[in-house]
Amino acid sequence: MLFLQLLLQGLQTGALYALTAAGFALIFGATRIFHFAHGATFAIAGYVFLYFWNAGQPWPGALAAIAAAVVFGLGMERFVYRPIQRHEGSFFTVFVAAFGVAVVVQNLIGMIAGRGFASVDTPLSMANEVLPDVFLAPIFWIAIAVAIVLFVALSAFLTRTHAGVGLRALAQNPDLLRAYGLSSNRLSMLAFALGSAMAAPAAILTAMTTGLNEAVGHHVMLISMAATIVGGVGSLRGAALAGLMLGVAESVALQFVDTQWAEGVSFLVLFAFIIFRPSGIFGVAQTR
Amino acid sequence: MIAYAANLATIVAIFAILAATLNFIVGYAGIFSVAHAVFFGLGAYAGAQVALLLIPDPLLACLAGAVVAGGLSLCLALPALRVRGEYFVAASMGLQMMAVTLFSEAKPLTGGIGGLVNIPRPTLFGVEVSVLPLALVALALILLATALLQRGAFGRTLQALRDAESAAEALGKNVAAAKTLAMAFACAGAGIGGALFALHLSFVNVESFTMDQSVLVMAMVIIGGTGTLWGPLVGAIILLSLPSGLAFIPFIPPTEVGAVQQIVYGLAMTLLMIFRPAGLVGDLSKGRATA
Repeated sequence: MLFLQLLLQGLQTGALYALTAAGFALIFGATRIFHFAHGATFAIAGYVFLYFWNAGQPWPGALAAIAAAVVFGLGMERFVYRPIQRHEGSFFTVFVAAFGVAVVVQNLIGMIAGRGFASVDTPLSMANEVLPDVFLAPIFWIAIAVAIVLFVALSAFLTRTHAGVGLRALAQNPDLLRAYGLSSNRLSMLAFALGSAMAAPAAILTAMTTGLNEAVGHHVMLISMAATIVGGVGSLRGAALAGLMLGVAESVALQFVDTQWAEGVSFLVLFAFIIFRPSGIFGVAQTR
Repeated sequence: MIAYAANLATIVAIFAILAATLNFIVGYAGIFSVAHAVFFGLGAYAGAQVALLLIPDPLLACLAGAVVAGGLSLCLALPALRVRGEYFVAASMGLQMMAVTLFSEAKPLTGGIGGLVNIPRPTLFGVEVSVLPLALVALALILLATALLQRGAFGRTLQALRDAESAAEALGKNVAAAKTLAMAFACAGAGIGGALFALHLSFVNVESFTMDQSVLVMAMVIIGGTGTLWGPLVGAIILLSLPSGLAFIPFIPPTEVGAVQQIVYGLAMTLLMIFRPAGLVGDLSKGRATA
């Protein structure tokens, strides 16, 4: 029964990982920008929600969290990545600039909201016994439902709408896209807005379950990068699936190791993929 | 006052060693590691254990630090041989986070969260010595080695594989060997820095080897200028004098100095990348480090 409990717990964590990682993969796939401040987006959204929650405003808080994530993502695109890409867009320059922002955000949050773990208390995270010795909180169903709804909506958007098709085209051939008269700048902003917005629900649900701390961005980045690489770069489905898989793996591993090693499981999976299959599950071997 | 200055100088020298060795792989080989503090830590624990269990001989401690850190650099060289750029950053970041867990859990070797305490003062040939001259000599040697390696065939091979890996391989350069060697050299250097750090403070714990520390060293390299000989030194001096400078600004509460310092260099990294990607010392007319 412990196994089932851990598996379900892992699905809940994995659903949140999948959302965050898919946002990261969407941005990376469409714009080829390794958005290293995606963890900062997550942290900002989570802490904005926390602030509103403490003021007794959960629903406006959820909207504000999404808005804050989108504004931050767009700001990064407009004021950091675009000026860099205008003169020279080497990976190194983009990475360092984003990393600097992530450091600033982490410390600002620490100064404003205080350091250490912060979480919200809600009856939604109270566990009930659903099967003998298996406990589930209502938040489990919320996390799964939110993930499913958002993924269905996202894939409908990417396949059925003009802008969604444009986003996929941007990933494949930006020059051809411009030749067809579409604005790659506008599409890249769309990718950042969508990808950042996807981090917000995950951040809110994380605040309700395990809680946040100011350094949560590191963990989020590791998971997002690991899921993107394991899933295969450019594959949104791959990133989501890998995120889910990492969540389950981390949780099920608790049967054998202590909690502090859970992150290590994700690291080992990432390491194994980098060494044995760098193109990931769904990736095609490509020359970079 | 003299003690304060000597202490600051020792710390600057040790961090300059870290920055110079990180610059060697980032600036010349294009291997972007955010796990440099791991090898600093390995060296520190190895050096501390030598001093605690055998004799507090700084040379032996440095040797142990270099061997342990250089040997375990294979952990990072392995992914570096398979992938580059973003992928490698992900691998090194994972390694850094794993290492912090390992350092806090492996109590017999590292003392856990509490760390290793009461490391004896270093003595050389029976005479107690201070760490400052040792650190300065080590720094000078490492800068000399960097300059020599950079001018020689090895340095040119590294720069070639940084700028165009496939081309370097096509011209018959042994890319795998060059990367592994560069990595071992840089990590062994960080290990020496770690051993000196442990002897200087006579106390080490995992706090000094976290991701934040890796980021600090990276900021030194970037703010100073990647791929330059003196850049990392300049970066180390600037970033380490920052906390003392900030302490004089009255409206910053003392508890927030660390956070303000990180905000300042985080901001500096971002602004430099937007406006002056080659760093303070870097020459803009030359090609920039690309990974």
